[in-house]
Amino acid sequence: MAWRKAAIAGVGVSRQGKLPAETPLSLATEALVAALDDSGIDKSEIDGLLTMPGTTSPEGPKHYLAVGEHLGINPTWTGSMSMGGATAGALVQQAALAVAAGMATAVLCIFGDTARSGGNRFDAAAGRGDSWGIWGMFGNAANSAVGARRHMDLYGTTSEQLGWVAVTARKHASMNPLATMRDPMTIADHQASRMIVDPLRLYDCCIISDGAVALLVTSPERAAAAKQPPVSIWGMGQGHTLMNLGTPEWWYLPHQADCISRAYRMAGISPTDIDVAQLYDNFTIAVLFWLEHAGFVPRGEAGAFVQGGERITFGGELPINTAGGNLSESYMQGWLHVVEGVRQIRGQAGDRQVEGAELCLVTGRGMTLNTASCLILGS
Amino acid sequence: MSDAIAPFITDLNRPFWEGCAAGELRLQHCTACGLLRYPVSETCPRCLSPEAEWRPMSGRGEVLSAIAFHRAYNPAWADRVPYNVALVQLAEGPRMFSNVVPLDRLRIPAGTAVRVVFEATPDGVSIPRFEPTGE
Repeated sequence: MAWRKAAIAGVGVSRQGKLPAETPLSLATEALVAALDDSGIDKSEIDGLLTMPGTTSPEGPKHYLAVGEHLGINPTWTGSMSMGGATAGALVQQAALAVAAGMATAVLCIFGDTARSGGNRFDAAAGRGDSWGIWGMFGNAANSAVGARRHMDLYGTTSEQLGWVAVTARKHASMNPLATMRDPMTIADHQASRMIVDPLRLYDCCIISDGAVALLVTSPERAAAAKQPPVSIWGMGQGHTLMNLGTPEWWYLPHQADCISRAYRMAGISPTDIDVAQLYDNFTIAVLFWLEHAGFVPRGEAGAFVQGGERITFGGELPINTAGGNLSESYMQGWLHVVEGVRQIRGQAGDRQVEGAELCLVTGRGMTLNTASCLILGS
Repeated sequence: MSDAIAPFITDLNRPFWEGCAAGELRLQHCTACGLLRYPVSETCPRCLSPEAEWRPMSGRGEVLSAIAFHRAYNPAWADRVPYNVALVQLAEGPRMFSNVVPLDRLRIPAGTAVRVVFEATPDGVSIPRFEPTGE
């Protein structure tokens, strides 16, 4: 029996790409205006405000104060959260719980960032106690490269298979007028792109973007009375491995599988019920892990599943990242994955619409690949 | 400090780095619950006890995954690109990031058996790295 005690009634997206004249707050305003217009909900109805500080937001944990003042919102329910790419899903969950508990009626979840113009390169070293920089271990690509290389060593996954994820994302972005990277990409282009952290090449890495996204979470009743077909939250889950090195199989990210199975249980569904998926793709290898963690393929077989691209595009067994994802649409740290999930369930994805899409899995992951969240969206 | 490219020695991690200088990989063993732990921490993440003793490891382990940096993320590493970084499973249980020597060996398959070696640096610190045992 699906949960369905809260719904997403509105989505709003600012301009995306390179926007040097903007700030995280100015872009957030743009996204909120779009979400209000999308939903027909008036700003005065918003009584919850949940925020994710952008990488260039100066306010840190006090971010919600600045956003509330900037947008003119005096909420009954608020806060900020930083879980990297898992934040969008986690904030929608917090909003949904507040709505279901009657502590808020319309919660705005919002994120704005100028990572591209602000020059954030996501290059820092991690490591507690002693910095991993002592051994030259820097940046976000490296964490994903560790899992990618072991997946290759154990299961024979290839760089070309990773390439199919990038090529398919680009193909989907080319069908999305809002995507920032729309030029065609071939496997040869992917294979010719320079190595960043072997086995990950440049085209295995997501882009860096400026932009903002706003999501309005409300009750099923309020959503039904709003302008758009309501998108109900059937299930949601989280999973975390906060002890990176302390988790024997951290490289395989087993908490991501826990995260999704919790959501399946809440929704009362199984993997075969999912029609379309928006899988957080900070790097191409992430998609392979999600396919295995979500139970779409057995462990070790995701490389073969994406080979050729047919199964993961329109008309295939499981179309994924139908708007182009972090790899080619824009890097909004998973917020746009939620937006595309909503569009697919509403039936408003235009040329990219997956026919008969009734259930969409949306996943997010972040930090040192130790946080994960997911949503199951349906009508 | 998270971008440090040299050890930042504190009272907490000094025994680890003194061990390296003496040619031994030493990790914390919780005397309350017996957990052997890494990274270095004030209290045991399992039982929360602050009581621990430093125990020498065999220095043996295996490579779980080895990646190769072709991009220099930090100027201090610019003249070593490309170099490897390996996630090493120690025989006694804990895991650590390190390098396999020589650093310009870029493909080290998962499962490669390794043993610890120590590389003295000009600032008087010895960095633990690993070499294949050939087994």
